[in-house]
Amino acid sequence: MTLLKHEIKSNLKALLIWAGCVGFGCLGCLLLFDGIRDAMEPMAEVYGEMGAFSAALGLDKLNVADIEGYFATEIALIFAVGGAMFAAMTGAAALSKEEEGHTAEFLYTLPVDRLFVVLWKYAAMVVLIVLFQIICILCILAGFAGVGEMPDAGSLVLFFGTQLLMQLEVGSVCFFVSSLSGKKQIGAAVGLSVLLYAADVMCRVVPDLEALKYITPFYFSNAADIFVNGRVERGPALTGMLVLVISGCLAAVISQKRDFSA
Amino acid sequence: MEKNPDKNYAIEICNLTKTYGKKRGVSGISLQVEEGDIFGFLGPNGAGKSTTIRSMLGLLHFQAGEIRLLSMDASHRRREVLAGVGYMPSEAMFYPSMKVKDVILFAAGIRKKDCGKEAERICRLLGVDTEKRIRELSLGNRKKVSIVCAMQHRPRLLILDEPTSGLDPLMQEAFFGLLLEYNRQGTTCFLSSHVLSEVKKYCRNAAFIKDGKIIRRDSVEGAPLDELFMHYYEEDKDDTAEA
Repeated sequence: MTLLKHEIKSNLKALLIWAGCVGFGCLGCLLLFDGIRDAMEPMAEVYGEMGAFSAALGLDKLNVADIEGYFATEIALIFAVGGAMFAAMTGAAALSKEEEGHTAEFLYTLPVDRLFVVLWKYAAMVVLIVLFQIICILCILAGFAGVGEMPDAGSLVLFFGTQLLMQLEVGSVCFFVSSLSGKKQIGAAVGLSVLLYAADVMCRVVPDLEALKYITPFYFSNAADIFVNGRVERGPALTGMLVLVISGCLAAVISQKRDFSA
Repeated sequence: MEKNPDKNYAIEICNLTKTYGKKRGVSGISLQVEEGDIFGFLGPNGAGKSTTIRSMLGLLHFQAGEIRLLSMDASHRRREVLAGVGYMPSEAMFYPSMKVKDVILFAAGIRKKDCGKEAERICRLLGVDTEKRIRELSLGNRKKVSIVCAMQHRPRLLILDEPTSGLDPLMQEAFFGLLLEYNRQGTTCFLSSHVLSEVKKYCRNAAFIKDGKIIRRDSVEGAPLDELFMHYYEEDKDDTAEA
Protein backbone atom coordinates (compact mmCIF):
# COMPACT_ATOMS: atom_id res chain seq x y z
CA MET A 1 0.00 0.00 0.00
CA THR A 2 2.92 2.35 0.79
CA LEU A 3 4.24 1.86 -2.73
CA LEU A 4 0.80 2.38 -4.29
CA LYS A 5 0.34 5.66 -2.39
CA HIS A 6 3.86 6.76 -3.30
CA GLU A 7 3.31 6.04 -7.00
CA ILE A 8 -0.02 7.85 -7.12
CA LYS A 9 1.37 10.81 -5.22
CA SER A 10 4.40 11.10 -7.49
CA ASN A 11 2.18 11.03 -10.61
CA LEU A 12 -0.54 13.30 -9.28
CA LYS A 13 0.75 16.46 -10.94
CA ALA A 14 0.96 14.80 -14.38
CA LEU A 15 -2.50 13.34 -13.87
CA LEU A 16 -4.05 16.70 -13.04
CA ILE A 17 -2.33 18.44 -15.94
CA TRP A 18 -3.32 15.81 -18.50
CA ALA A 19 -6.83 15.23 -17.19
CA GLY A 20 -7.28 19.02 -16.96
CA CYS A 21 -6.11 19.59 -20.53
CA VAL A 22 -8.12 16.75 -22.06
CA GLY A 23 -11.17 17.16 -19.81
CA PHE A 24 -11.41 20.94 -20.17
CA GLY A 25 -10.63 20.60 -23.87
CA CYS A 26 -13.63 18.30 -24.25
CA LEU A 27 -15.77 20.56 -22.05
CA GLY A 28 -14.81 23.67 -24.01
CA CYS A 29 -15.53 22.03 -27.37
CA LEU A 30 -18.89 20.75 -26.14
CA LEU A 31 -19.86 24.19 -24.90
CA LEU A 32 -19.07 25.56 -28.34
CA PHE A 33 -21.63 23.24 -29.90
CA ASP A 34 -24.65 25.50 -29.45
CA GLY A 35 -22.85 28.37 -31.15
CA ILE A 36 -21.62 26.38 -34.14
CA ARG A 37 -24.57 24.02 -34.62
CA ASP A 38 -25.99 26.02 -37.54
CA ALA A 39 -22.60 26.33 -39.20
CA MET A 40 -22.14 22.55 -38.87
CA GLU A 41 -25.20 21.75 -41.02
CA PRO A 42 -23.57 22.45 -44.42
CA MET A 43 -20.31 20.93 -43.16
CA ALA A 44 -22.14 17.73 -42.27
CA GLU A 45 -23.16 17.32 -45.89
CA VAL A 46 -19.60 17.88 -47.14
CA TYR A 47 -18.17 15.57 -44.47
CA GLY A 48 -20.58 12.84 -45.53
CA GLU A 49 -19.39 12.89 -49.12
CA MET A 50 -15.69 12.28 -48.67
CA GLY A 51 -15.88 8.62 -49.64
CA ALA A 52 -13.54 6.32 -47.78
CA PHE A 53 -12.48 9.06 -45.37
CA SER A 54 -16.07 9.71 -44.38
CA ALA A 55 -16.44 6.00 -43.70
CA ALA A 56 -13.15 5.89 -41.80
CA LEU A 57 -14.21 8.71 -39.51
CA GLY A 58 -17.82 7.53 -39.23
CA LEU A 59 -19.08 10.69 -40.91
CA ASP A 60 -21.15 8.72 -43.43
CA LYS A 61 -23.39 7.41 -40.65
CA LEU A 62 -23.36 10.25 -38.14
CA ASN A 63 -24.44 13.84 -38.45
CA VAL A 64 -21.92 16.26 -36.97
CA ALA A 65 -24.69 18.80 -36.60
CA ASP A 66 -26.38 16.83 -33.82
CA ILE A 67 -24.89 16.26 -30.36
CA GLU A 68 -24.28 12.52 -30.85
CA GLY A 69 -22.47 12.98 -34.14
CA TYR A 70 -20.55 15.99 -32.87
CA PHE A 71 -19.44 14.13 -29.75
CA ALA A 72 -18.54 10.90 -31.57
CA THR A 73 -16.52 12.54 -34.32
CA GLU A 74 -14.94 15.55 -32.60
CA ILE A 75 -14.89 15.26 -28.80
CA ALA A 76 -14.30 11.52 -28.60
CA LEU A 77 -11.16 11.95 -30.68
CA ILE A 78 -9.65 14.41 -28.19
CA PHE A 79 -10.57 12.09 -25.32
CA ALA A 80 -9.26 8.96 -27.06
CA VAL A 81 -5.91 10.32 -28.27
CA GLY A 82 -5.30 12.35 -25.09
CA GLY A 83 -6.20 9.39 -22.90
CA ALA A 84 -4.00 7.00 -24.86
CA MET A 85 -1.05 9.39 -24.59
CA PHE A 86 -1.51 9.76 -20.84
CA ALA A 87 -1.79 5.98 -20.39
CA ALA A 88 1.27 5.42 -22.57
CA MET A 89 3.39 7.91 -20.61
CA THR A 90 2.26 6.56 -17.25
CA GLY A 91 3.03 2.98 -18.28
CA ALA A 92 6.33 3.81 -19.94
CA ALA A 93 7.74 5.52 -16.86
CA ALA A 94 6.40 3.13 -14.23
CA LEU A 95 9.35 0.74 -13.89
CA SER A 96 12.15 2.34 -15.87
CA LYS A 97 12.07 5.63 -13.94
CA GLU A 98 13.69 3.82 -11.00
CA GLU A 99 16.73 2.97 -13.08
CA GLU A 100 16.86 6.27 -14.89
CA GLY A 101 16.60 8.18 -11.62
CA HIS A 102 19.10 5.83 -9.92
CA THR A 103 16.51 5.02 -7.25
CA ALA A 104 16.34 1.29 -8.10
CA GLU A 105 19.13 0.61 -5.62
CA PHE A 106 17.07 2.24 -2.86
CA LEU A 107 13.72 0.67 -3.74
CA TYR A 108 14.85 -2.84 -4.56
CA THR A 109 16.96 -3.23 -1.44
CA LEU A 110 13.92 -2.66 0.77
CA PRO A 111 12.26 -5.86 1.93
CA VAL A 112 9.66 -6.20 -0.79
CA ASP A 113 9.50 -8.83 -3.52
CA ARG A 114 10.12 -7.57 -7.02
CA LEU A 115 6.83 -9.13 -8.05
CA PHE A 116 5.02 -6.96 -5.51
CA VAL A 117 6.84 -3.87 -6.76
CA VAL A 118 5.60 -4.68 -10.27
CA LEU A 119 2.07 -5.42 -9.04
CA TRP A 120 1.82 -2.22 -6.99
CA LYS A 121 3.21 -0.15 -9.82
CA TYR A 122 0.76 -1.76 -12.22
CA ALA A 123 -2.06 -1.14 -9.77
CA ALA A 124 -0.98 2.50 -9.49
CA MET A 125 -1.07 2.83 -13.28
CA VAL A 126 -4.61 1.39 -13.34
CA VAL A 127 -5.74 3.77 -10.58
CA LEU A 128 -4.22 6.75 -12.40
CA ILE A 129 -5.94 5.79 -15.66
CA VAL A 130 -9.26 5.36 -13.86
CA LEU A 131 -8.85 8.75 -12.14
CA PHE A 132 -8.04 10.30 -15.51
CA GLN A 133 -11.23 8.80 -16.90
CA ILE A 134 -13.33 10.01 -14.00
CA ILE A 135 -12.08 13.59 -14.30
CA CYS A 136 -12.60 13.63 -18.07
CA ILE A 137 -16.03 11.99 -17.85
CA LEU A 138 -17.13 14.58 -15.29
CA CYS A 139 -15.97 17.35 -17.63
CA ILE A 140 -17.80 15.76 -20.56
CA LEU A 141 -21.00 15.33 -18.54
CA ALA A 142 -20.72 18.97 -17.46
CA GLY A 143 -20.42 19.84 -21.15
CA PHE A 144 -23.61 17.92 -21.99
CA ALA A 145 -25.36 19.65 -19.11
CA GLY A 146 -24.20 23.01 -20.47
CA VAL A 147 -25.51 22.21 -23.95
CA GLY A 148 -28.71 20.76 -22.53
CA GLU A 149 -28.55 17.65 -24.72
CA MET A 150 -27.07 14.21 -24.29
CA PRO A 151 -26.34 11.27 -26.59
CA ASP A 152 -27.81 7.83 -25.97
CA ALA A 153 -26.78 6.88 -22.42
CA GLY A 154 -26.17 3.20 -23.23
CA SER A 155 -23.80 4.01 -26.09
CA LEU A 156 -22.07 6.60 -23.93
CA VAL A 157 -21.42 4.07 -21.14
CA LEU A 158 -20.18 1.55 -23.71
CA PHE A 159 -17.90 4.19 -25.21
CA PHE A 160 -16.37 5.11 -21.83
CA GLY A 161 -15.95 1.40 -21.00
CA THR A 162 -14.07 0.70 -24.23
CA GLN A 163 -11.97 3.82 -23.73
CA LEU A 164 -10.92 2.47 -20.33
CA LEU A 165 -10.01 -0.87 -21.89
CA MET A 166 -8.11 0.89 -24.70
CA GLN A 167 -6.13 3.05 -22.27
CA LEU A 168 -5.34 0.06 -20.07
CA GLU A 169 -4.12 -1.86 -23.11
CA VAL A 170 -1.87 1.00 -24.26
CA GLY A 171 -0.67 1.49 -20.68
CA SER A 172 0.07 -2.22 -20.30
CA VAL A 173 2.07 -2.42 -23.50
CA CYS A 174 4.13 0.59 -22.41
CA PHE A 175 4.47 -0.91 -18.92
CA PHE A 176 5.99 -3.97 -20.58
CA VAL A 177 8.37 -1.76 -22.58
CA SER A 178 9.25 -0.05 -19.31
CA SER A 179 10.32 -3.39 -17.82
CA LEU A 180 12.79 -3.86 -20.68
CA SER A 181 14.38 -0.46 -20.60
CA GLY A 182 16.55 1.52 -18.24
CA LYS A 183 15.18 4.79 -19.64
CA LYS A 184 11.66 6.19 -19.49
CA GLN A 185 11.04 6.15 -23.28
CA ILE A 186 8.30 8.77 -23.07
CA GLY A 187 8.81 9.84 -26.68
CA ALA A 188 8.43 6.28 -27.93
CA ALA A 189 5.31 5.83 -25.80
CA VAL A 190 3.62 8.95 -27.20
CA GLY A 191 4.73 7.88 -30.69
CA LEU A 192 3.16 4.48 -30.14
CA SER A 193 -0.22 5.98 -29.25
CA VAL A 194 -0.20 8.17 -32.35
CA LEU A 195 0.86 5.20 -34.47
CA LEU A 196 -1.99 3.09 -33.10
CA TYR A 197 -4.45 5.87 -33.94
CA ALA A 198 -3.01 6.07 -37.47
CA ALA A 199 -3.38 2.29 -37.75
CA ASP A 200 -7.07 2.63 -36.91
CA VAL A 201 -7.59 5.20 -39.68
CA MET A 202 -5.57 3.11 -42.15
CA CYS A 203 -7.44 -0.12 -41.52
CA ARG A 204 -10.71 1.72 -42.14
CA VAL A 205 -9.53 3.39 -45.36
CA VAL A 206 -7.46 0.59 -46.93
CA PRO A 207 -9.33 -2.74 -47.12
CA ASP A 208 -6.07 -4.69 -47.43
CA LEU A 209 -5.02 -3.44 -44.01
CA GLU A 210 -8.17 -4.58 -42.25
CA ALA A 211 -6.16 -6.98 -40.07
CA LEU A 212 -4.75 -3.93 -38.28
CA LYS A 213 -8.04 -3.74 -36.39
CA TYR A 214 -6.73 -6.58 -34.20
CA ILE A 215 -3.61 -4.59 -33.40
CA THR A 216 -4.93 -1.13 -32.67
CA PRO A 217 -7.16 -0.64 -29.63
CA PHE A 218 -8.54 2.52 -31.25
CA TYR A 219 -10.59 0.26 -33.51
CA PHE A 220 -12.84 -1.42 -30.95
CA SER A 221 -13.13 1.81 -28.94
CA ASN A 222 -14.11 3.93 -31.95
CA ALA A 223 -16.90 6.28 -30.90
CA ALA A 224 -18.57 6.47 -34.33
CA ASP A 225 -18.91 2.66 -34.50
CA ILE A 226 -20.27 2.48 -30.98
CA PHE A 227 -22.83 5.26 -31.44
CA VAL A 228 -24.01 3.88 -34.80
CA ASN A 229 -24.06 0.15 -33.94
CA GLY A 230 -24.63 0.35 -30.20
CA ARG A 231 -22.15 -2.47 -29.68
CA VAL A 232 -18.45 -3.30 -29.78
CA GLU A 233 -16.83 -5.69 -32.24
CA ARG A 234 -15.92 -8.67 -30.09
CA GLY A 235 -12.77 -10.00 -31.83
CA PRO A 236 -10.59 -6.86 -31.61
CA ALA A 237 -11.84 -6.15 -28.06
CA LEU A 238 -10.93 -9.66 -26.88
CA THR A 239 -7.55 -9.37 -28.59
CA GLY A 240 -7.07 -6.11 -26.69
CA MET A 241 -7.82 -7.82 -23.38
CA LEU A 242 -5.40 -10.60 -24.23
CA VAL A 243 -2.65 -8.11 -25.09
CA LEU A 244 -3.33 -6.30 -21.81
CA VAL A 245 -2.93 -9.47 -19.73
CA ILE A 246 0.09 -10.78 -21.65
CA SER A 247 1.95 -7.44 -21.45
CA GLY A 248 1.38 -7.25 -17.70
CA CYS A 249 2.57 -10.83 -17.16
CA LEU A 250 5.63 -10.36 -19.37
CA ALA A 251 6.55 -7.20 -17.46
CA ALA A 252 6.37 -9.17 -14.20
CA VAL A 253 8.55 -11.99 -15.56
CA ILE A 254 11.16 -9.66 -17.05
CA SER A 255 11.37 -7.55 -13.89
CA GLN A 256 12.18 -10.68 -11.89
CA LYS A 257 15.15 -11.45 -14.11
CA ARG A 258 16.47 -7.96 -14.59
CA ASP A 259 19.82 -6.76 -13.24
CA PHE A 260 19.82 -3.34 -11.65
CA SER A 261 22.99 -1.38 -12.08
CA ALA A 262 23.77 1.84 -10.23
CA MET B 1 38.42 -20.06 2.67
CA GLU B 2 37.30 -22.94 4.90
CA LYS B 3 34.07 -22.51 6.81
CA ASN B 4 34.25 -23.06 10.55
CA PRO B 5 31.13 -24.99 11.65
CA ASP B 6 31.40 -23.63 15.21
CA LYS B 7 30.97 -20.02 14.10
CA ASN B 8 27.86 -18.11 13.09
CA TYR B 9 28.25 -16.14 9.92
CA ALA B 10 26.29 -13.07 8.92
CA ILE B 11 27.66 -13.31 5.37
CA GLU B 12 28.68 -16.46 3.54
CA ILE B 13 29.67 -16.15 -0.09
CA CYS B 14 30.72 -19.30 -1.87
CA ASN B 15 32.30 -19.32 -5.33
CA LEU B 16 30.41 -16.26 -6.53
CA THR B 17 30.79 -15.57 -10.24
CA LYS B 18 29.14 -12.69 -12.01
CA THR B 19 30.03 -11.55 -15.50
CA TYR B 20 28.48 -8.84 -17.65
CA GLY B 21 28.52 -10.43 -21.08
CA LYS B 22 32.20 -10.72 -21.87
CA LYS B 23 33.16 -8.24 -19.18
CA ARG B 24 34.42 -9.54 -15.87
CA GLY B 25 32.54 -8.79 -12.69
CA VAL B 26 33.72 -11.16 -9.99
CA SER B 27 35.10 -14.63 -10.47
CA GLY B 28 34.69 -17.48 -7.99
CA ILE B 29 34.98 -15.38 -4.85
CA SER B 30 34.35 -16.88 -1.42
CA LEU B 31 34.07 -14.92 1.77
CA GLN B 32 32.71 -15.36 5.27
CA VAL B 33 31.97 -12.63 7.76
CA GLU B 34 31.26 -13.60 11.34
CA GLU B 35 28.27 -12.23 13.20
CA GLY B 36 29.18 -9.14 15.19
CA ASP B 37 32.22 -8.31 13.07
CA ILE B 38 33.10 -5.00 11.46
CA PHE B 39 34.48 -6.15 8.17
CA GLY B 40 36.36 -4.01 5.67
CA PHE B 41 36.10 -4.75 1.97
CA LEU B 42 38.94 -3.04 0.21
CA GLY B 43 39.87 -2.70 -3.41
CA PRO B 44 40.53 -0.21 -6.16
CA ASN B 45 37.78 1.13 -8.43
CA GLY B 46 36.36 -1.54 -10.71
CA ALA B 47 37.77 -4.38 -8.61
CA GLY B 48 34.33 -5.94 -8.02
CA LYS B 49 33.30 -4.48 -4.65
CA SER B 50 29.97 -3.10 -5.83
CA THR B 51 29.25 -6.19 -7.95
CA THR B 52 29.71 -8.35 -4.85
CA ILE B 53 27.46 -6.11 -2.77
CA ARG B 54 24.77 -5.88 -5.44
CA SER B 55 24.82 -9.65 -5.84
CA MET B 56 24.42 -10.01 -2.07
CA LEU B 57 21.38 -7.74 -2.12
CA GLY B 58 19.72 -9.41 -5.10
CA LEU B 59 20.13 -6.44 -7.43
CA LEU B 60 22.25 -8.60 -9.74
CA HIS B 61 21.65 -12.19 -10.77
CA PHE B 62 24.88 -14.12 -10.63
CA GLN B 63 25.91 -16.98 -12.91
CA ALA B 64 27.37 -19.29 -10.26
CA GLY B 65 27.85 -19.59 -6.54
CA GLU B 66 25.80 -19.19 -3.41
CA ILE B 67 25.20 -16.29 -1.06
CA ARG B 68 23.80 -16.66 2.43
CA LEU B 69 23.03 -13.63 4.56
CA LEU B 70 21.91 -13.95 8.18
CA SER B 71 21.89 -17.75 7.66
CA MET B 72 19.34 -17.50 4.83
CA ASP B 73 19.75 -18.07 1.12
CA ALA B 74 19.87 -14.54 -0.28
CA SER B 75 18.46 -15.56 -3.66
CA HIS B 76 15.44 -17.52 -2.49
CA ARG B 77 14.54 -15.68 0.71
CA ARG B 78 15.33 -12.20 -0.49
CA ARG B 79 12.54 -10.38 1.33
CA GLU B 80 13.30 -11.97 4.71
CA VAL B 81 17.01 -11.33 4.24
CA LEU B 82 16.45 -7.68 3.34
CA ALA B 83 14.18 -7.21 6.37
CA GLY B 84 17.26 -7.74 8.54
CA VAL B 85 19.66 -5.75 6.38
CA GLY B 86 20.38 -2.03 6.24
CA TYR B 87 22.05 -0.91 3.02
CA MET B 88 23.77 2.34 2.28
CA PRO B 89 24.62 2.69 -1.42
CA SER B 90 27.57 4.74 -2.59
CA GLU B 91 25.43 7.12 -4.65
CA ALA B 92 22.56 7.76 -2.18
CA MET B 93 19.88 8.63 -4.71
CA PHE B 94 16.26 9.17 -3.69
CA TYR B 95 13.12 10.59 -5.28
CA PRO B 96 14.03 14.25 -5.92
CA SER B 97 10.60 15.77 -5.33
CA MET B 98 10.06 14.04 -1.99
CA LYS B 99 10.76 15.60 1.37
CA VAL B 100 13.42 13.93 3.51
CA LYS B 101 10.86 12.94 6.14
CA ASP B 102 8.69 11.30 3.46
CA VAL B 103 11.63 9.27 2.14
CA ILE B 104 12.41 8.07 5.67
CA LEU B 105 8.72 7.25 6.27
CA PHE B 106 8.51 5.52 2.88
CA ALA B 107 11.42 3.21 3.75
CA ALA B 108 9.91 2.48 7.18
CA GLY B 109 6.48 1.96 5.62
CA ILE B 110 7.77 -0.67 3.21
CA ARG B 111 9.48 -2.36 6.16
CA LYS B 112 6.13 -2.20 7.97
CA LYS B 113 7.96 -0.99 11.06
CA ASP B 114 7.49 1.99 13.31
CA CYS B 115 11.01 3.39 13.28
CA GLY B 116 9.98 6.93 14.22
CA LYS B 117 11.97 7.29 17.44
CA GLU B 118 15.19 5.81 16.09
CA ALA B 119 14.92 7.81 12.86
CA GLU B 120 14.41 10.98 14.88
CA ARG B 121 17.42 10.21 17.06
CA ILE B 122 19.72 9.57 14.08
CA CYS B 123 18.43 12.68 12.30
CA ARG B 124 19.18 14.77 15.39
CA LEU B 125 22.62 13.25 15.73
CA LEU B 126 23.56 13.89 12.11
CA GLY B 127 21.73 17.20 11.82
CA VAL B 128 19.36 16.09 9.06
CA ASP B 129 16.78 18.68 8.00
CA THR B 130 13.73 16.50 7.38
CA GLU B 131 11.64 19.31 5.90
CA LYS B 132 13.91 19.80 2.89
CA ARG B 133 13.27 18.19 -0.45
CA ILE B 134 15.80 15.67 -1.75
CA ARG B 135 16.61 17.81 -4.80
CA GLU B 136 17.78 20.58 -2.46
CA LEU B 137 20.37 18.35 -0.79
CA SER B 138 24.08 18.00 -1.48
CA LEU B 139 25.68 14.56 -1.80
CA GLY B 140 26.78 14.74 1.84
CA ASN B 141 23.26 15.48 3.04
CA ARG B 142 21.81 12.74 0.85
CA LYS B 143 24.35 10.40 2.45
CA LYS B 144 22.97 11.36 5.84
CA VAL B 145 19.44 10.48 4.69
CA SER B 146 20.85 7.20 3.45
CA ILE B 147 22.34 6.52 6.89
CA VAL B 148 18.95 7.11 8.51
CA CYS B 149 17.19 4.81 6.02
CA ALA B 150 19.81 2.09 6.52
CA MET B 151 19.85 2.22 10.32
CA GLN B 152 16.39 3.31 11.50
CA HIS B 153 15.05 -0.27 11.71
CA ARG B 154 18.04 -1.46 13.77
CA PRO B 155 19.26 -4.05 11.23
CA ARG B 156 21.20 -7.19 12.11
CA LEU B 157 23.52 -6.61 9.17
CA LEU B 158 24.68 -3.29 7.78
CA ILE B 159 26.08 -3.25 4.26
CA LEU B 160 27.81 0.03 3.52
CA ASP B 161 29.18 0.89 0.10
CA GLU B 162 31.73 3.70 0.43
CA PRO B 163 29.71 5.29 3.23
CA THR B 164 32.00 8.22 3.99
CA SER B 165 32.44 9.60 0.48
CA GLY B 166 30.85 13.05 0.48
CA LEU B 167 30.67 13.32 4.27
CA ASP B 168 32.74 15.97 6.01
CA PRO B 169 35.24 14.79 8.70
CA LEU B 170 32.91 15.69 11.57
CA MET B 171 30.06 13.75 10.05
CA GLN B 172 32.40 10.84 9.36
CA GLU B 173 33.16 10.76 13.09
CA ALA B 174 29.47 10.90 13.97
CA PHE B 175 28.74 8.15 11.44
CA PHE B 176 31.41 5.82 12.82
CA GLY B 177 30.15 6.59 16.32
CA LEU B 178 26.76 5.29 15.28
CA LEU B 179 28.31 2.31 13.53
CA LEU B 180 30.22 1.29 16.66
CA GLU B 181 27.11 1.76 18.78
CA TYR B 182 25.10 -0.56 16.52
CA ASN B 183 27.97 -3.02 16.44
CA ARG B 184 28.08 -3.11 20.24
CA GLN B 185 24.40 -4.07 20.12
CA GLY B 186 25.21 -7.01 17.83
CA THR B 187 24.94 -5.57 14.32
CA THR B 188 27.42 -6.96 11.83
CA CYS B 189 28.93 -4.28 9.61
CA PHE B 190 30.27 -4.88 6.13
CA LEU B 191 32.11 -1.82 4.97
CA SER B 192 33.23 -1.44 1.38
CA SER B 193 35.82 1.26 1.02
CA HIS B 194 38.96 2.40 -0.66
CA VAL B 195 39.96 4.52 2.30
CA LEU B 196 42.59 2.47 4.08
CA SER B 197 42.72 4.63 7.22
CA GLU B 198 39.05 4.10 8.10
CA VAL B 199 39.30 0.36 7.58
CA LYS B 200 42.40 0.23 9.80
CA LYS B 201 40.72 2.33 12.44
CA TYR B 202 37.31 0.70 12.66
CA CYS B 203 37.42 -2.80 11.13
CA ARG B 204 38.53 -6.01 12.82
CA ASN B 205 38.85 -8.06 9.64
CA ALA B 206 39.28 -7.11 6.03
CA ALA B 207 39.49 -8.57 2.56
CA PHE B 208 41.21 -7.22 -0.54
CA ILE B 209 39.53 -7.63 -3.88
CA LYS B 210 41.29 -7.00 -7.17
CA ASP B 211 40.28 -7.90 -10.72
CA GLY B 212 37.20 -9.70 -9.43
CA LYS B 213 39.12 -12.01 -7.11
CA ILE B 214 39.74 -11.96 -3.37
CA ILE B 215 43.49 -11.49 -3.02
CA ARG B 216 43.72 -11.60 0.73
CA ARG B 217 41.48 -11.94 3.78
CA ASP B 218 42.88 -11.38 7.24
CA SER B 219 42.43 -9.67 10.57
CA VAL B 220 43.28 -5.99 10.33
CA GLU B 221 45.78 -6.23 13.19
CA GLY B 222 47.72 -9.10 11.65
CA ALA B 223 47.73 -8.04 8.02
CA PRO B 224 50.31 -5.74 6.50
CA LEU B 225 47.50 -3.60 5.15
CA ASP B 226 49.63 -0.63 4.12
CA GLU B 227 51.96 -2.80 2.06
CA LEU B 228 49.12 -4.69 0.44
CA PHE B 229 47.23 -1.53 -0.23
CA MET B 230 50.19 0.27 -1.77
CA HIS B 231 51.15 -2.80 -3.77
CA TYR B 232 47.75 -3.31 -5.36
CA TYR B 233 47.06 0.35 -5.89
CA GLU B 234 50.46 0.89 -7.52
CA GLU B 235 49.76 -2.11 -9.74
CA ASP B 236 46.44 -0.59 -10.63
CA LYS B 237 48.07 2.72 -11.48
CA ASP B 238 50.66 0.96 -13.66
CA ASP B 239 47.91 -0.89 -15.52
CA THR B 240 46.10 2.36 -16.15
CA ALA B 241 49.27 4.06 -17.36
CA GLU B 242 50.07 1.17 -19.72
CA ALA B 243 46.54 1.24 -21.10
